[in-house]
Amino acid sequence: MIALGQRLVQVCVLVAILALWQFATTNGRINPLLLPSLPVVTTEFLGMLRTGAFWPDLRVTLYELVVAFALASTGGCLVGFLVARSGFTIRVFDPIIAGLYSVPTILMFPLYVLIFGIESGSKIALGATVAFFPVALSTISGLAYVDPILVAAARSMGASTTQMFWNVMLPAAFPAIIAGLRLGLVIAFLSILGTETLASIAGLGHEIVSFGESMETAKMFACIGFAILLALALNSTASFVEAKVRRGLE
Amino acid sequence: MSMNVDSSRSLRPPRSLVKRRPRREERRLSPGMARILVILAMVAAWEIGARFFGDPLFVAPPSQVAVALVGLLGVKGVMIAVGMALLELVVAFAVAVVLGVAIGLAVGLNRFWRGALYPIIVTIYAVPQSTILPLFVLLFGIGAATKIAFGITHSVFAVILTLIAGIQNIDPTLLKCARAMGANRRQVLVSVILPSLVPTIFTGMRLAMAGVLLGVLLAELYVSSAGVGLYTQTFANSMQPAKLFALVTLLAAAAVILNELCRMAEARFTRWHS
Amino acid sequence: MITIECEKVSKSFGPRGSPHRTVALDNASIDIERGELLCFIGPSGCGKSTLLNIIAGLAEPTSGEVLIDGTPVNGPLPRKIAFVFQESALFPWRTVIDNVKLGLAFQQVPKGERDDRASEALQAVGLADFANHYPRQLSGGMKQRVQLARALCLGTDILLMDEPFAALDEQTRMVMGEDLSVLLARTGKTIVFVTHSLVEAVFLADRVAVFTARPGRIKTVLSVDEEHPRKQSFMKSAKLAEMRNELYDLLHDEVRKTMELRGEAGESGARAQSRGLRR
Repeated sequence: MIALGQRLVQVCVLVAILALWQFATTNGRINPLLLPSLPVVTTEFLGMLRTGAFWPDLRVTLYELVVAFALASTGGCLVGFLVARSGFTIRVFDPIIAGLYSVPTILMFPLYVLIFGIESGSKIALGATVAFFPVALSTISGLAYVDPILVAAARSMGASTTQMFWNVMLPAAFPAIIAGLRLGLVIAFLSILGTETLASIAGLGHEIVSFGESMETAKMFACIGFAILLALALNSTASFVEAKVRRGLE
Repeated sequence: MSMNVDSSRSLRPPRSLVKRRPRREERRLSPGMARILVILAMVAAWEIGARFFGDPLFVAPPSQVAVALVGLLGVKGVMIAVGMALLELVVAFAVAVVLGVAIGLAVGLNRFWRGALYPIIVTIYAVPQSTILPLFVLLFGIGAATKIAFGITHSVFAVILTLIAGIQNIDPTLLKCARAMGANRRQVLVSVILPSLVPTIFTGMRLAMAGVLLGVLLAELYVSSAGVGLYTQTFANSMQPAKLFALVTLLAAAAVILNELCRMAEARFTRWHS
Repeated sequence: MITIECEKVSKSFGPRGSPHRTVALDNASIDIERGELLCFIGPSGCGKSTLLNIIAGLAEPTSGEVLIDGTPVNGPLPRKIAFVFQESALFPWRTVIDNVKLGLAFQQVPKGERDDRASEALQAVGLADFANHYPRQLSGGMKQRVQLARALCLGTDILLMDEPFAALDEQTRMVMGEDLSVLLARTGKTIVFVTHSLVEAVFLADRVAVFTARPGRIKTVLSVDEEHPRKQSFMKSAKLAEMRNELYDLLHDEVRKTMELRGEAGESGARAQSRGLRR
């Protein structure tokens, strides 16, 4: 429950930010090249939406995301299943995967550009690498920490290994796997956007940087706004799907 | 009862007559040993793959990377760049933790402000910050300030959110108990709330380190006219994969050590929290 | 002499006028004599813990009031009332002795006196050797002893205990009950004690207040005429068994009513059973 007063504060914060923006840009204190005014950005944003100027770059970014996520989810689930097959393999491989995950993946990007090229290949490789770890780790932990009472109950009812996997292990691990997939999707998108700003020839991130470099800041802001909206939409869609799937399981 | 146990035991032949069969675990490798073998195998696969199947313009085998790494340690410019990056990491980390804990406490301890500001903070946290990196460069230039600021924005929200969650998870019985014993507001803060939040603060620090690493390194790589970004760019453009791999390895090692320090501190200072 | 007066205390939860509003406690009135040990017993959710919290000043009644020695309660009274919680309310980052001293520290008792009173209290509950342990190193029974020591060393006239033995196994709570009876007979405190255990209620209390199912009212108050400290022989006596049975009859219908309200119980009796079999 959120009280009226709290809503009011939220609205006030939003209004204050917009008012500050407007005030700073109309007073001529801030160079419009650095921060264009709100109406200019809004017009630019709507114009770009209407003409479909975002479309080519959006297509590149989404293509990279889809391929990266497909690779990461297949690879992550597969590796997770294989590792979780026995307690021994979990103890051997889980720390290795977790250790690799603690290395900031962004460091791999220069290598990936060198190996996979400056086009989509390097972004897909990095997005897939980033997303692989949470998927694999959550698959392992989901399968490894199934409630032992459920396992004992199924065994007492005479479940075979295959039956155990399909009827006990997989359903019990499913929420964890779904959570891993959601996290993987979101951080893959973030890192693809990020790497596009670092070195690329197309994509939303690239568009933002190239507008910035050519000092078309209004267009840059419109583009940033678009990317942020896209990220928020992706985030809430992923959370929604996860919640839906979870509820379907219960 | 005890007689039954005794008789069943006497049915078994004495130990010395049975050929001692090693238990399953004893026959196997220990997981630690197996882990080392797996890592060695991965390095060996990389060595063989890079040496015999890879293009030497793009990939380098670990043996060459190791040699290049030793070489890099003697290059003053690289060392200054790496040192600078480490300094930025530490500064950004310190600021993010202090700021995050302060804001987290201020917002989290007040029911009204928590309800009002929490959704805003969550939304900001979900913003893909790499898109506004060019803005940071416009605002703060290409020096350390940009990288520190970017590191802070990548981590401070995680600390705030962790703290707010931690405050909500404080055991209500302990708060009630302190109140029943006559604690005033200040005593509740000092004796219950802050000690309860110690594990939360360390969790926040661990998250902050991950965020700071991402933010600072992203900004470092983005600014290719100086620092680490300059060297990765140079090595890549001049087709010196061994040096590039070595530089990345160096930074990765630093990151792992920093992460590990945070994890150890967390384990060390939260021992009572079983 | 009466020390605690509860006058028509009611407590409701949930927003006023909403269908989710529940009446936890409905016009509970009871007077508690100085030095007596009163036990609250009743089905879950009957408001017995709520009443205890209201007496302690840890919760506010929706209507009615509680008087301690003639003054209305509005907030905790740490100099008059000590509280023992159901769960382990020990501070996990403090040693046993530091936990016991905490309440004294809150009330600005001088340092030297704190140490003496805390050691004395630990001695009384038989945990002097565990002063420097951390709570996680103790068993459930020991933790509750520490809570008891912490409450005792505050030196209050009134001790309120909210199901202090709920988390313990039956044998441990049996022994804890015996020890408690001996300890409390010495202190002469006024004690209000919430429990789910019929035997515990009869064994420890001077009077037992039986609560009805939600909305909780005080159905009846039984007196247990047996001097303190209670002996093991009392535990095995026909008198205790008889009183326990009386409590059982009083409570049985209330408990079933509570469970039916929550949809936990079957329709009771053979019909439900035969349906189960057919399925």
